[in-house]
Amino acid sequence: MPLRTSLQRATAALSLLLSVGCGDSEGASGSSSSLPDPDDGLAAESYGPRQLRLLTRREYEATVRDLFAFGSASAAEPASPCSSDASCEIATESCVAGSCATDACNVVTFLLPAAPGSYGSVVVAGSFNAWGANEAAGGWAMSYEPTLGAWVSKRAVADGSWSYKFVADGSTWMADPQNPNGEPDGFGGQNSLVTRSCANAPPPPSGGDAPAGEPIYSKDFPVETRPEHHPFDNAAKAGLVTSTHVDQYMRAAERIAARATSDLSGLLECEPSSASDPCVRSFVERFGRRVFRRPLTLAEVDKYVALAVAQPDLASGVGVVLEVMLSSPYFLYRSEIGEAQADGTARLSPYEIATALSYAFWGTTPDEALLDVAQTGGLDTPAGIEAEARRLLADARARRVVGDFAIQWLGAERVLTVDKNAQLFPDFDAELRRAAAEETRRYVERIVFDGGSFDELYLGDSTSAEGRLAELYGAGEGGLLPEERRAGLLAHASVLASYAHSDQTSPVRRGLFVRERLLCNEFAVPPANAGAVPEIDPTSSTRERFEQHSSDPSCNHCHRFIDPVGFGFERFDAIGRVREQDGGKPIDASGLVEDLEGSSPSVDRPFASLPELGAVLVSSAQAKRCFVTQLHRHASGYHEEPVDRGTLARLAARLDEADGDVRELLVAITQTQGFATRRSR
Amino acid sequence: MTTLRSRRSILRLLGGAGLALPLAHLIGSQSSRADGAVAKRAIFFTFPDGVVGPSQNGDPSKWHATGNGSSFTLGQLQQPLAPFKDRCVFLNGLTMGPADSGSHPGGAKKLLTATDGGMGRSIDRVLADTVGADAPFKHVYLGAHATANDASGDKYVSYVAPGQSVAPQDDPRAAFATLFGDALPTPRDPGAPIEPDPRKVSVIDGVLGDMNELRAQLGEVEKSKLDLHLEALREVEKRIKNPGLTGTNDPSCAEPSVDATGITDGTLHDPTYFPEVLRAQIDVMVLAMACGLTRVGVIQGSQHTSELLMSRFPNTPMFDPSFDMRSHQASHYGAAHDPSKREYAAFVQHTTWWVSQLAYLLSELASRPEGDGTMLDHSLVFFGTEVCDGNTHLHDDMPFVLAGGGSGRIATGRVLNTGGRRHADLYIAMAQAMGHSMGSFGDASGGALPGLLL
Repeated sequence: MPLRTSLQRATAALSLLLSVGCGDSEGASGSSSSLPDPDDGLAAESYGPRQLRLLTRREYEATVRDLFAFGSASAAEPASPCSSDASCEIATESCVAGSCATDACNVVTFLLPAAPGSYGSVVVAGSFNAWGANEAAGGWAMSYEPTLGAWVSKRAVADGSWSYKFVADGSTWMADPQNPNGEPDGFGGQNSLVTRSCANAPPPPSGGDAPAGEPIYSKDFPVETRPEHHPFDNAAKAGLVTSTHVDQYMRAAERIAARATSDLSGLLECEPSSASDPCVRSFVERFGRRVFRRPLTLAEVDKYVALAVAQPDLASGVGVVLEVMLSSPYFLYRSEIGEAQADGTARLSPYEIATALSYAFWGTTPDEALLDVAQTGGLDTPAGIEAEARRLLADARARRVVGDFAIQWLGAERVLTVDKNAQLFPDFDAELRRAAAEETRRYVERIVFDGGSFDELYLGDSTSAEGRLAELYGAGEGGLLPEERRAGLLAHASVLASYAHSDQTSPVRRGLFVRERLLCNEFAVPPANAGAVPEIDPTSSTRERFEQHSSDPSCNHCHRFIDPVGFGFERFDAIGRVREQDGGKPIDASGLVEDLEGSSPSVDRPFASLPELGAVLVSSAQAKRCFVTQLHRHASGYHEEPVDRGTLARLAARLDEADGDVRELLVAITQTQGFATRRSR
Repeated sequence: MTTLRSRRSILRLLGGAGLALPLAHLIGSQSSRADGAVAKRAIFFTFPDGVVGPSQNGDPSKWHATGNGSSFTLGQLQQPLAPFKDRCVFLNGLTMGPADSGSHPGGAKKLLTATDGGMGRSIDRVLADTVGADAPFKHVYLGAHATANDASGDKYVSYVAPGQSVAPQDDPRAAFATLFGDALPTPRDPGAPIEPDPRKVSVIDGVLGDMNELRAQLGEVEKSKLDLHLEALREVEKRIKNPGLTGTNDPSCAEPSVDATGITDGTLHDPTYFPEVLRAQIDVMVLAMACGLTRVGVIQGSQHTSELLMSRFPNTPMFDPSFDMRSHQASHYGAAHDPSKREYAAFVQHTTWWVSQLAYLLSELASRPEGDGTMLDHSLVFFGTEVCDGNTHLHDDMPFVLAGGGSGRIATGRVLNTGGRRHADLYIAMAQAMGHSMGSFGDASGGALPGLLL
């Protein structure tokens, strides 16, 4: 398949078709003469499918926290109890005051597995203690832990790289068998190497505490499947439940119920004597409405009360009720089924609308107020929906969801895990990675909520980064960025590092990032015998090494749309630092966006730098439509279809009318007919 | 060297001694077929990015075995299988068909589904829901770095429905907890029958009640999604209402443990720990099967077009901290891109390493007695990748191996020159060896691969 925009059919009427596709084009090169009249179809409203939307891990976690008002993660999740370091995760934890706590950054755990009695004594000798071969000479004594079958010592070391060996019985020197890093010891053997860089490391979390936003209950849930070309984890079509899911849901429900029922009267808001007390019934009604995001039917209330009564005691009765509710399809799926209408559509119920609003803008379950509005008919009109949409968008929770959107849209979360060569980029540690991802979330949040506009996505000139990330950026007063970096998201370290290899930049990945994520183009997979990343040659630049793509016609077919865009990022290395030279040559960050708009004739836009590429994107109708499309995908949970072209075009127009105010676009999504209506056949 | 075993690093659930529990109605029925033995289990083990196959410049394959029948020579890259030469069938000439040629994702979608674009259920799921359905866990899907790097759905090889892949469990600790955490209740009195936990019974019955109600409400709307969910609930219901284990005498089931040293949230997707994670997943799979928890498993090593830094694998010839070599990068070892032959050398090591991982799996199976032989004698192990030659991306002459005796159903110790048969035919033969009456599979098939079944 050739290059095509996912909006190809959807926006054909807007002359968005990419007329110069790469490849033998089965459709992308179709001329617009074969397409419907430009006005045809645009007036029509489009409706998505009736669907059940499985909660994502993010949504599950947020929902549980809101339902049970589990505030601080640590409240009722005690740290693992311990009696000694050996009963903790020895490599990374110590036993502190009866609980396993994560070791500080500078603590190294030395471990030598050995059978009991193999040695009389073992010490760690190394460059940190003047290679003392026994305790008297300064060696660090290790103690034998029978439960581990190993000699153990935990020691703090200063920042730097240290070599060491274990010395048994004062004379037997051996490298650390568990440490793959080593260097020749000058005697034909190996010293082991350990490196620490802790000066700027954050303090470790205290035992049992999950950092804010870290999953607790959903941690072991299966990863969501993202359909190809769909950046988001909430695609309804892909949200399927296997037995592995069921296992995990039930385990999580058990933990949640145990925690919730530890304060029974707080949960029930009454003091019943038994499960047959009317107050249990009112709990089922009240809490069931929150969990299922709709009132329970009488039969359902009866069922759940009977379930509680059947258990041996009140606490287990309430616990079982919670466990069933939290494992029920009524909780795990948010329903967008609606009621079939005579005209072939299905109208969502007020509660379904409330749920769609809440998860779209808050990423969590509706609050009581929203359910009340649904109950009293407040969501029966577009104006009523708009009022609630604006209320939700004014709440801080909306920021978090926009951040979730941004990080997925851009694929920038992979900055947290993408491999980087530690020798080339020793400072690119977990802290810097987290800061980079966080900055991207915050950046888009600010554009949406703090008076920014669409243009700043690709043209912003300042950053909120602090500390080491700000240093990496060379940010000045007020976060003002150096000129070469004034390209909004394009110059974020999260993006630059995510779309690069471990040891070098990648014009292909960065070019594809722009094409696929920002312009919604889709590319076919490379043909047989496509090349790999050319090896690093210190005498040639990345640009030169990728020359083959333009000299070989079979590559150039597609790569002419990709690489010349990616070259625009060449001022930035594989972790996003500015560089002046590559392969000993000055950087050339000029490039070309060929066929920017997917129009005929093709619009080709040259640029000389990353900020200029940003300006090209800001000027592009296709880039704007793509942004609208991505937001629509995230909110709707489905991948647009040809019939949606009118809806998307109107939303893009709305963004223009609102001078790029994304909040107005979000409100406008709730005002489309398709928001509260589905096609029923 | 002693294996380090920290109390919490070892994934363990103390099941108490003497947990040889007779649960014949779960497992026993499978091995007591009147019409002869059937293979007890199938494991599908996939690895990324192909092998050094027949190259476009005419160089012969470094993978394929040469010869015929039991008179053959292993390919260079198959050497780690030398100890298991007589326990394997080396398959030459199988094709995945003409469509999707030249693509990793196309190959990954087709690898286990035998359909273009993954538009069919994969063979592992079909077997799980049929011949594997009586096992406590119908299916176990484990990965090592399979979900890494924000993977999209095309990276996964197991398809629960046409066009719908699901992600494997990449964390051996979580996999172990799922498989052994609930499956082995501590018996109050050794030898006494294990009663279902009444609380769990209440919960699953309550959930099933809601599910049935919802299905009745929705009718045809989202039916396939809810059907799948219902099947999943029924499987869990079965485990809850028939607790306990199997008729196995494997002593390791009494106190199951798997060494997960070094595996933490932080190292799970760190290439330095990749060999550990993969080994732990193989161990979990073998243990689950030894204990009769499942008959069908998939171990997905990495993902197609893999970014895995093989040069970080400690204690392997690939280890080179000063140079980053990625799996997919190495797979494009063609002369045009690799004048120094560095990628070629790395890719040879890479493929050899993956084959050695299969050898480890086979050795684990062979180390456990079962019936009149070992687990390996009663198993079917498929080993394959989504393209043939990593540099040409073609889907012909796929580098596949079938290992294990399948309870005497498979004639091993041979090379089988299949002459261009569809790979679906191999799966049909495997299915039949497991007692399935399958006649066709995928887009195109011609019945059970001839010459495989005894």
